[in-house]
Amino acid sequence: MSHLVRSELRKYFSTRMWWGMALSMFLIGAVFAAFTGGFTLYGELPAGSGDTMIKLADVLPELTAARMIYAGGIQFAYMLALVIGVLSMGQEFRHKTVSGTFLAGPRRHQVVFAKVIGLLVIIVVNAVAHIAGAVLGGGILLTTAGMSVIPDTAGLLQTFALMLLILVVWGLIGLGLGVLLTNQVAALFLGIAFTLIVEPLIAFGLTFVDGGEAFAKFFPSQAATATLSLFSGVDDAVAEMMGAAGEQLTWWTGALTLLVYAAIMTLIGLWLTRRRDIV
Amino acid sequence: MSVPAAAQRAVGPSEAAIVVQDLSKKFGDFVAVDNLSFEVSPGRITGFLGPNGAGKTTTLRMLLGLVRPSAGTGLIDGVTYAQLDRPLQTVGAALEATNFHPGRSGRDHLRVLAATHGIPDSRVDELLALVGIPAAARKKAGGYSMGMRQRLGLAAALLGDPHVLILDEPSNGLDPEGIRWLRGFLRHLASQGKTILISSHLLSEVEQTVDDVVIIANGQLVRQGTIDELHGEATTLVRTSGSRALIGALRGAGLEAGDEPAQGPGAVRVVTGDLAQVGDLALAAGVPVHELRVLRTDLERLYFQLTESPENRNRNLDTGAAEPPPEPPVGPPPVAATPDRTGPEETDR
Repeated sequence: MSHLVRSELRKYFSTRMWWGMALSMFLIGAVFAAFTGGFTLYGELPAGSGDTMIKLADVLPELTAARMIYAGGIQFAYMLALVIGVLSMGQEFRHKTVSGTFLAGPRRHQVVFAKVIGLLVIIVVNAVAHIAGAVLGGGILLTTAGMSVIPDTAGLLQTFALMLLILVVWGLIGLGLGVLLTNQVAALFLGIAFTLIVEPLIAFGLTFVDGGEAFAKFFPSQAATATLSLFSGVDDAVAEMMGAAGEQLTWWTGALTLLVYAAIMTLIGLWLTRRRDIV
Repeated sequence: MSVPAAAQRAVGPSEAAIVVQDLSKKFGDFVAVDNLSFEVSPGRITGFLGPNGAGKTTTLRMLLGLVRPSAGTGLIDGVTYAQLDRPLQTVGAALEATNFHPGRSGRDHLRVLAATHGIPDSRVDELLALVGIPAAARKKAGGYSMGMRQRLGLAAALLGDPHVLILDEPSNGLDPEGIRWLRGFLRHLASQGKTILISSHLLSEVEQTVDDVVIIANGQLVRQGTIDELHGEATTLVRTSGSRALIGALRGAGLEAGDEPAQGPGAVRVVTGDLAQVGDLALAAGVPVHELRVLRTDLERLYFQLTESPENRNRNLDTGAAEPPPEPPVGPPPVAATPDRTGPEETDR
């Protein structure tokens, strides 16, 4: 089993994709943290009914502001994690290397489990790149605003750990999709189109239905946002102005929800994989 | 390779390296492999022959656990592929020459496979040297020629030093130099006592290499045996002006002999491979000998007859549009495969 994991890691790190992906993760982290920093530190929002404007930096606690800035690129980052997961399986079918993979590991469930473990390592590498980028991009903005780059070490570490968790579960969702659909283009399209287009539309539709929000909060993107619990410690009114969607799951139910998505797809995919003819 | 036929026959079914038993595969309505059974003896090279679409690749993939059989089993060393503890160290398989990630180097492709069995990088480099692509294997596989892909595929099959090799059309896309290299390479492997099952749609490509043949058409077994059995009994052609006297003398010596008008006037066919005995008998009988040579079965023609007869014609192809069999490289044009023609045509080779 550990041999199979090693093989999976060699697979990932022996093509150009590994550093291309890490670089993308880093840049996304840096650019979005800088953008979010610009908005959070220098932006203003209309306060209440009057036409007075409040500066966000004045109402947000220092730690909350830093958290929001550093997690600014997480939505793009977890899309990339999804892509990594899909490609982990999809590339094998695309380039027909799956024959060789299953010849070396004929007990196919072991190969899929090896991919899960290998993916964890790969996502950690990418998460480190992403967070490093975020700290660089966000840190520059925080410094220009005369604020502390690391206002609360423990608090920020918790945020970074949650970011890692989100990337991991989205990677696993991608792997589940990749195992489910052998066509990687179809799997990528479905994963990204659903998350960016279909899910928001359904969520919007559900707001017109009584009790609809109870369902919407279990949707992947909303669960991901909930996991970070960025708005904790923020005045509800301000949070709503900043786009927080009403009721949210707690951080751990959010993460658990995402893991359930990943597990269901991986299990269905596993069942199909064991029966699938490799021609 | 040089195991005597008698020794080969002594090998019981339980000792076969590969056993294919009542194997069938249906893809929807299409029957790719139809109740196929055959065995591959250990330490021998077996040619697995059949026209394109006969079900060779599907059979091999079922044997290797990549395709689920609709019925029947394929066993290697008495177990299914998935039951093998360390598969790469028992069976080496080279399937298609296109199974490489274009952005990964050939060497890394082998390292990925080697990792699954804890095989060291030194073994990878050793094999790359053996198949003759040590430098090229450090470049990305996307730019490889067909010949390099085939060599890389062979190196992959040999990673775990298996004693059974399953090669699917390894000479496909190779130039004449590559085919020559492959023949020598296979002989080298056979000399190490490896069991080799090698598929091909061309008998002539493997005729000089294989000990045994399994011929299939339409997913069904057409013929199985040693290449010598396929050649049939050795026969001799002798041409003389006194055929009646010669036939009498040959029969007197206990040989089966008779006129062979198909070979022209005065031709006599003798069932023996011993040219000297035939010459001596002719001298003793006092008849002049104008020609004396061994008659060989044209295996290529036999192969076409076996695989292209109407009942074995590929069901995939529309019968009206079925391509005629390609002409054999030597000898007179092939006769039309007709049901009434039973025995193999014999010609000079």
